[in-house]
Amino acid sequence: MARTQQDVDREQERITDDNGDTVESALVGDDLELSYPTSEETIVDCARLDIPEEAVTALVGPNGSGKSTLLKALSKHLTPATGSVQIHGKDLDTFSRKELAREMGVLSQENDSLGSIPVEDLIYHGRYPHRGFFDGVTEEDHRAVERAIELAGIDHLRESELGQLSGGQKQLAWIAMVLAQDTDVLLLDEPTTFLDIHHQFRVLETIRQLNEEKGVTVAVILHDISQAARFADYLVAMCDGELYDWGPPEEVVTEQLLADVFGVEASVEYEPELQVLPKRALPESQT
Amino acid sequence: MAEAQSVEGHRSAREREGWVTGMLVLFCLASTVVTIVAGLVQVSFGEYSMTFLEAWQAVFNPSVIFNLHAWSAFLFGTNLPEMSTASIVVWTLRMPRVFVAIIAGATLAISGAIFQAVTRNELASPFVLGVSSGAGFAVLATLVVFSGLTPFLPLIAALGGTVAFVIVYTIAWKGGTSPVRLVLAGVVVNMVFQSLQQGLFFFVDDLGVVQTAIAWLTGSLTGTGWEEVRIAILPAAVAIAIALAGARQLNVLMLGESTARSLGMRVERVRFSLSAVAILAASAAIAVAGIVSFFGLVVPHIVRNTVGGDYRRLMIGCLFAGPALMVTADVGARLALGGTQMPVGVVTGLIGGPYFLYLMRKQQSMGEL
Repeated sequence: MARTQQDVDREQERITDDNGDTVESALVGDDLELSYPTSEETIVDCARLDIPEEAVTALVGPNGSGKSTLLKALSKHLTPATGSVQIHGKDLDTFSRKELAREMGVLSQENDSLGSIPVEDLIYHGRYPHRGFFDGVTEEDHRAVERAIELAGIDHLRESELGQLSGGQKQLAWIAMVLAQDTDVLLLDEPTTFLDIHHQFRVLETIRQLNEEKGVTVAVILHDISQAARFADYLVAMCDGELYDWGPPEEVVTEQLLADVFGVEASVEYEPELQVLPKRALPESQT
Repeated sequence: MAEAQSVEGHRSAREREGWVTGMLVLFCLASTVVTIVAGLVQVSFGEYSMTFLEAWQAVFNPSVIFNLHAWSAFLFGTNLPEMSTASIVVWTLRMPRVFVAIIAGATLAISGAIFQAVTRNELASPFVLGVSSGAGFAVLATLVVFSGLTPFLPLIAALGGTVAFVIVYTIAWKGGTSPVRLVLAGVVVNMVFQSLQQGLFFFVDDLGVVQTAIAWLTGSLTGTGWEEVRIAILPAAVAIAIALAGARQLNVLMLGESTARSLGMRVERVRFSLSAVAILAASAAIAVAGIVSFFGLVVPHIVRNTVGGDYRRLMIGCLFAGPALMVTADVGARLALGGTQMPVGVVTGLIGGPYFLYLMRKQQSMGEL
């Protein structure tokens, strides 16, 4: 608890700091208390959360630490009990759903699989927020979809039906749909979980490429801490619904964090590159 | 620049507005042919016997088709201009029945298709979700108790259907709904409304009213005329137009609630308004044809199996297949047993029920779309 408070202070300093290297935040969660309508219990209590502009931020934490809940609040799928979320300095409430969907793409964890829809049709649905009720497909829609297909590298799958694809190909198709939305901010909930290692990398590389070429801000929940440590520019570590730590992976990932947050004994190597080697689970009492 | 070129390159592969497939066109053409043939059979037979040729001549009689007075008589109930006996039999007795079948078939099919998307449930239909029995109860109550309100039947049917559907949805809602919960809630609400319907029969003194009511509850087109066409055509046209325009919304809704919301859809509002459209469509059919069982459930399935699950195609398919099947079923209902007419609901139930069982056996999983 004490540590969290300390971190919060540190972050706020960092955000208000206006030197050349200042971190601008694309997405800010302020004083968030989150709970689901079905229960009184507060799932997430987070004084401040920053998703830095034009960077990839990974949210990590054990199951039930509130990562997904936090992401839902950031994407207006869940209204915070208290607090607010701002995107580029504007409160989420000032956006209509469609306006928001033009600013922010969201991929949820579970996508109900529609068997018979062709991949290309699915990707065209990503243009929904850009089209009016009676609008047809415009030149811009074509371009956005082609770009998304190219980025996700699924040109050969465009005619295939979604139901016939492997889990990894499906995920790439869904990601292409979100890419077609053509947003500056992208929120992804565990896009690599359940995928084989090849497709995990395909997904992560697509995200990275998007970030580097288009300067898209990405917040992504990753299940695997070692993957997150290597991949992300910033880590947000969640524990029991609170922000445990925030910062570049080299600063955040420590043996202490792995013990406190994930309940594993692990060794962390910083040279030649950040590497996490989990060894064994710690007994419950120690975590 | 390179981007633009690659776009040009791919365009020919698949024109995006070209969701109309050859299969769909073929399907619609076949349905139209079936509708026309069944319609002609329907108008050719009956107590006033005439040959096919005579009947066809009467149908395509230019002095009726191009006569504004005749149409104003049909559609607005003004005085009928003079015409031959054959023309009168065909145009005032038999044709309107075909038209009512066309309207009821189209609206029921589209209503079922919308309900299946809105609830993301293959088993959804106006029948299963309580709309039919709610509307049925309302109409029956009107016929038996408040006979003065008969001119407002479609409105009353819509009201009853809405009430029942809202009850089903409320019972099934628990931070979201699931297909199984919706169907179970629908079954329960159906039973309650059917009990209420049966209860109403005790307040009927007149045996004629009972017979009308029974025919009505099984779904019958017997004795329908231009009056029924006039009642149903406007709500049907409105509902169909909105349903066709909303097909893309339904497609997005089928991606799942949270995806649809992420894409910027106001899910609750869209789901509510499209449900309202589906209720309006079902009510238009119920108000003139009664409760034609299984129709709204089975027809979207047939269409989906043929033209695929894209709602832009599915809606068009339903619009053509619904009338074809309804007119055909009504031919069977009217002519199969020689002298006696059956309610068309008996025919659709007898054919639709087993067909649905066959689908259930054939498919591995059924329920969630």
